[in-house]
Amino acid sequence: MKQHAGWWYTGILGLLLVTIVLAMMVGTTWLGIAQIFRAVTRPASSDFTTVFTLRVPRILSSLICGGSLAVAGALFQAVFRNPIADPSILGVSAAANFFKLGGALLLPAMWGRNWFFALGGGLVALAILTSGRALADPYRLIIVGVALDATFVGLQQLLSSGATQISSSTFNGMTWSETTVLLILGVIGLIGALLIAPWANYLKLTDMALSHVGVPVSVIRWSLLLLGMYLAVSVTAVVGAIPFVGIVVPNIARRLVGHDYQTVLPFSMLAGAWLMLAADTLGRTVISPSEISAATMMAIIGGPFVILLLQRGRGFYGMSTR
Amino acid sequence: MECRHVSYHYPRQKSGLTALSGELPTGKITTIIGPNGAGKSTLLQLLARQLLPQSGEIRLADQPLTHWTTKQLAQRVAMVTQHHQLYDELMVQEVVAMGRLPYHNLWQTVPFHEVQPYLAQTGLLALADQFMQDLSGGQQQRAWLAAALAQEPAVLLLDEPTTYLDVHYQQTLMTQLQSLAAKGMTVVQVLHDINQAFQVSDWLWLLNDGRLAASGTPAQLRDPQLLERVFNTTVEVVTVPRFGPYIVQLPN
Repeated sequence: MKQHAGWWYTGILGLLLVTIVLAMMVGTTWLGIAQIFRAVTRPASSDFTTVFTLRVPRILSSLICGGSLAVAGALFQAVFRNPIADPSILGVSAAANFFKLGGALLLPAMWGRNWFFALGGGLVALAILTSGRALADPYRLIIVGVALDATFVGLQQLLSSGATQISSSTFNGMTWSETTVLLILGVIGLIGALLIAPWANYLKLTDMALSHVGVPVSVIRWSLLLLGMYLAVSVTAVVGAIPFVGIVVPNIARRLVGHDYQTVLPFSMLAGAWLMLAADTLGRTVISPSEISAATMMAIIGGPFVILLLQRGRGFYGMSTR
Repeated sequence: MECRHVSYHYPRQKSGLTALSGELPTGKITTIIGPNGAGKSTLLQLLARQLLPQSGEIRLADQPLTHWTTKQLAQRVAMVTQHHQLYDELMVQEVVAMGRLPYHNLWQTVPFHEVQPYLAQTGLLALADQFMQDLSGGQQQRAWLAAALAQEPAVLLLDEPTTYLDVHYQQTLMTQLQSLAAKGMTVVQVLHDINQAFQVSDWLWLLNDGRLAASGTPAQLRDPQLLERVFNTTVEVVTVPRFGPYIVQLPN
């Protein structure tokens, strides 16, 4: 852990708190802090509905989604030993989205349909990513991933043409039941990630070096990969695919708090939660009463970041350390 | 450790090992020498069970190597390879702690006091909190050696351990290996420098074309005709004052 890590943790927590309060205040109707407090005590008021039925679920969902996506990205980067690996750029989220849509058409009445189908899609994408030579070659991995992403996005458009727009990856209109699902799925995954964070550090060594010290490389690789996929797919199942959170956040986290995954993962969780909330809050205020979806906001922020990262950094092979 | 009729051939390649048999004496330094492509590195990988013999077997403590679980093997055999690579930042003490993993389950973290003796043994205590990327090649090599020693192995395998070291530290390393062997560790290394091999080893394996051309003490193998045949060059053994016999390669 870097010496300044403590400060950065304090900073991100403070930022998170301020942004949460701001996000409760802003919207089509502006609510002052006093009004929010009043709303809490008067459940029948219209302010209460605005805060607790509209804004709080939306805030909670974006927090948990941001945290999940950032941690999923960090886990993928550890496993693929590649600083821009992440479930969205490698086509895992797109596959989950396509399968989710397929599920909606095939078995509209099935319980937990979105999640199970999205998980199926994630598994298919992982199977493709890990079956060939992509694992050993970081360039090949990204190209295969981008191709996979394009394929599933195309398939999804094919399937949804004619139907009304089904997935737009927005937090607009998040209900409490959707938020609860997200919270349960997300919290389980995030606790799991914190528990196996040391394993992510092991993968900084080569497979051969790990096998020399008796570490079951496949077990830790697949545990981390499946957990990352689960986190990303859970977000996709409820909200939709949101790009770049998993690339932007962990890479900034490494700059600020060091490269130890036991520090990177919790920090990414907090920073991801903040980034998602900030992006969504900005997206719903700048052109209010209309709004920009969280996915669009992240594409605008994340795209240039990745370009900068690769043009100025060391590239795909290993993490840039200095 | 012992090889019994060990054969290994890479698919579609001529090189490999053929029916190799021999003993690696316990508590001694055995050095494997031979020309490029003789199968030295392949042999080391077989001894570390990174490769499995296609026929024959390798035995350790009167058991075939395949008898041990990965973890049990890691408590007995450690390897310092020639090409070390890290994909991300790690501190010296974290690298050395990896060597203690065979004695812990995956949920445990290795406490620093377990790592400390190996850092001290390799003179790395002051560098414990440094990042590997910031060290010189020689210091990195010492960290990898410390990690291997942390495994408390009965057999220590080293592939070209002197590659990144200056003359002074080459000497230090060899003294260190000799004292490890004196305490009962079986040291097996591949060296390119024949004179270094003859100087520091208790036992030599001379590999040629995937076969064991000869094995014995340095005195037994210091035979110009044998070396000429194996290395395909003209050699002469001269005596250097205060050093002893020295093998010189002559222009053909």
